[in-house]
Amino acid sequence: MQVTETLAEGLKREYKVVISAADIDEKVGARLEKLKDEVRIPGFRPGKVPTSLVKKRFGQAVLGEVLQNALQDSSKQALDERGLRPAAQPDVEVVSFEEGKDLEYDLKLEILPEIEPIAFEEIELERVVVEPTDEQVQEGLDRLAQQQRSTKPLEEERPAASGDVLVVDFKGTVDGEAFPGMEAEDHHLELGSNSFVAGFEEQLVGKNKGDDVEVRVTFPEAYGNEKLAGKEAVFQVQVKDVLQAVPAAIDDELAKSLGQESLDELKERLRESLSNEYQQASRSLIKRKLLDALAERASFPAPEKLVDMEFGGIWQRIEEDRKADRLDEEDKGKDEETLKREYRAIAERRVRLGLLLAEVGRQEAIEVSQEELQQALIGEMRRYPGQEQALFEFYQKNPAALANLRGPLLEEKVVDHILEKAKVSERTTDRDGLMAELEAIDSAPEVPSQASSEAAAPAPESAPESAPESDAVAPADEAAAAKTDAGADEDSGKGA
Amino acid sequence: MSRARSRKKIEVRLSEERKLEMIRRPIITEKTTLMGEHNQVAFQVPLDATKPEIKAAVEGVFSVKVKAVNTLIAKGKTKRFRGRPGRRADIKKAMVTLEEGHSIDVTTGI
Repeated sequence: MQVTETLAEGLKREYKVVISAADIDEKVGARLEKLKDEVRIPGFRPGKVPTSLVKKRFGQAVLGEVLQNALQDSSKQALDERGLRPAAQPDVEVVSFEEGKDLEYDLKLEILPEIEPIAFEEIELERVVVEPTDEQVQEGLDRLAQQQRSTKPLEEERPAASGDVLVVDFKGTVDGEAFPGMEAEDHHLELGSNSFVAGFEEQLVGKNKGDDVEVRVTFPEAYGNEKLAGKEAVFQVQVKDVLQAVPAAIDDELAKSLGQESLDELKERLRESLSNEYQQASRSLIKRKLLDALAERASFPAPEKLVDMEFGGIWQRIEEDRKADRLDEEDKGKDEETLKREYRAIAERRVRLGLLLAEVGRQEAIEVSQEELQQALIGEMRRYPGQEQALFEFYQKNPAALANLRGPLLEEKVVDHILEKAKVSERTTDRDGLMAELEAIDSAPEVPSQASSEAAAPAPESAPESAPESDAVAPADEAAAAKTDAGADEDSGKGA
Repeated sequence: MSRARSRKKIEVRLSEERKLEMIRRPIITEKTTLMGEHNQVAFQVPLDATKPEIKAAVEGVFSVKVKAVNTLIAKGKTKRFRGRPGRRADIKKAMVTLEEGHSIDVTTGI
């Protein structure tokens, strides 16, 4: 095997690799010899097939296989010899090959950039601390009470108002035809809960106990049942009773129905969960700031191929959004060129941050332990109740998917690690202040908000860690890391 | 009458089409591979093919000289399908010995 370097420019490297015909022949021969004992050809007992016949039958296939392996092995060897770490799968372009002649191919790749260690100690960050106030706890209590409300008959008869619960019998028809599910007796319908087709509940407002009402509604075009979508329906509704909704009293009784010992304990729980929420929001805030700070300091060039992949993912989404006319207001006015340039910058930032985090993780030997992975897997399974088994099998069979799960975990750990080292000051503020800051950072010009919603990260073309080319794992983690970088602000929005 | 009377040479003329029909397929088995060492090849031929015809056909199609042709008819097995007796087709095989210096690569096809 001969390797000559033909290009070394920036992160790009190109090599010309020549593998001699004799090498290939030898490999093919060995492979055929092994195959000989296994193949079954009619007219021959196993293992008695003449070599010439085996060669004629399987020679081409074996040759292809051998070439494939030769390409893989030799390119890996070439990289290993030079100690290169490719950023993505190298491009292999076969220049010439004929049977009995040397195999010659070009190997094109981009290497991972040298990442200068960043002095984390110099990064100054501010952690926002928010303690839940008594009012916020009270708000939570009220909400709980609202959810736990019960109904009781009206003290004196009055027309139904929004928020009341009606006991109704109804029977609906479309074009004089009854459909299953359009009929019920003693149905408890809360006005204003929007659990029925739009317009249904509104027409019952102001009715009295014992009233018979004819309700006409039009099913929306996007209704689940195709037969009904867009059709007009007539419901004969009999209002049997009007009930009043009463919020549950905030006392120990309420606490007990929620599985707590006493009201104080319930309050404590609420406070805890609020505080958790704020901590999470605060964390994603500081994480965003940290990433911004890192992005400022990370000056190494980003491998074009990774940027292309990331950008491809983003752009695909943009195109889809455009088709569906969902583009952000601020993006609508821009022409394609500007948009592309902007999103390319974002892609580059993501790749750079992903690489940086992965590199830090590597240098500091931060690893995701098996237990942590297990935890994440369980968390993932919780999200799909009823399909745990299928999900578990999916992850067992797809190491790449597991690597995807590992990415965010690693990222979190690395971020933790950096935060420990960085100068972090604390500042106390209230909830609104925290929210305002989150929003401010969301609409920061560098990362337009819709790009920050979870973009399709480049599919990890990596192998599992146990696979021979363990280097390829890095890009996968990075891809996932880049993905969560963006996903963070979304989460914080939910936490609020 | 002596047994050693000279055999009459039979001249066979076959159309190109008939020649190709003559040779149904080569028979490639362990046994025929061994026969290859004696410069012999085996073909499946029509049941009604005669040795002179086979010779002419092989010579015409593969451009070789044939020294001798031996044939046999392998009777089809009696098989039962859903209890009904049936019979597999008979097969005529021709073992063709080539003149020294001639050869046919039966594995490649025509």
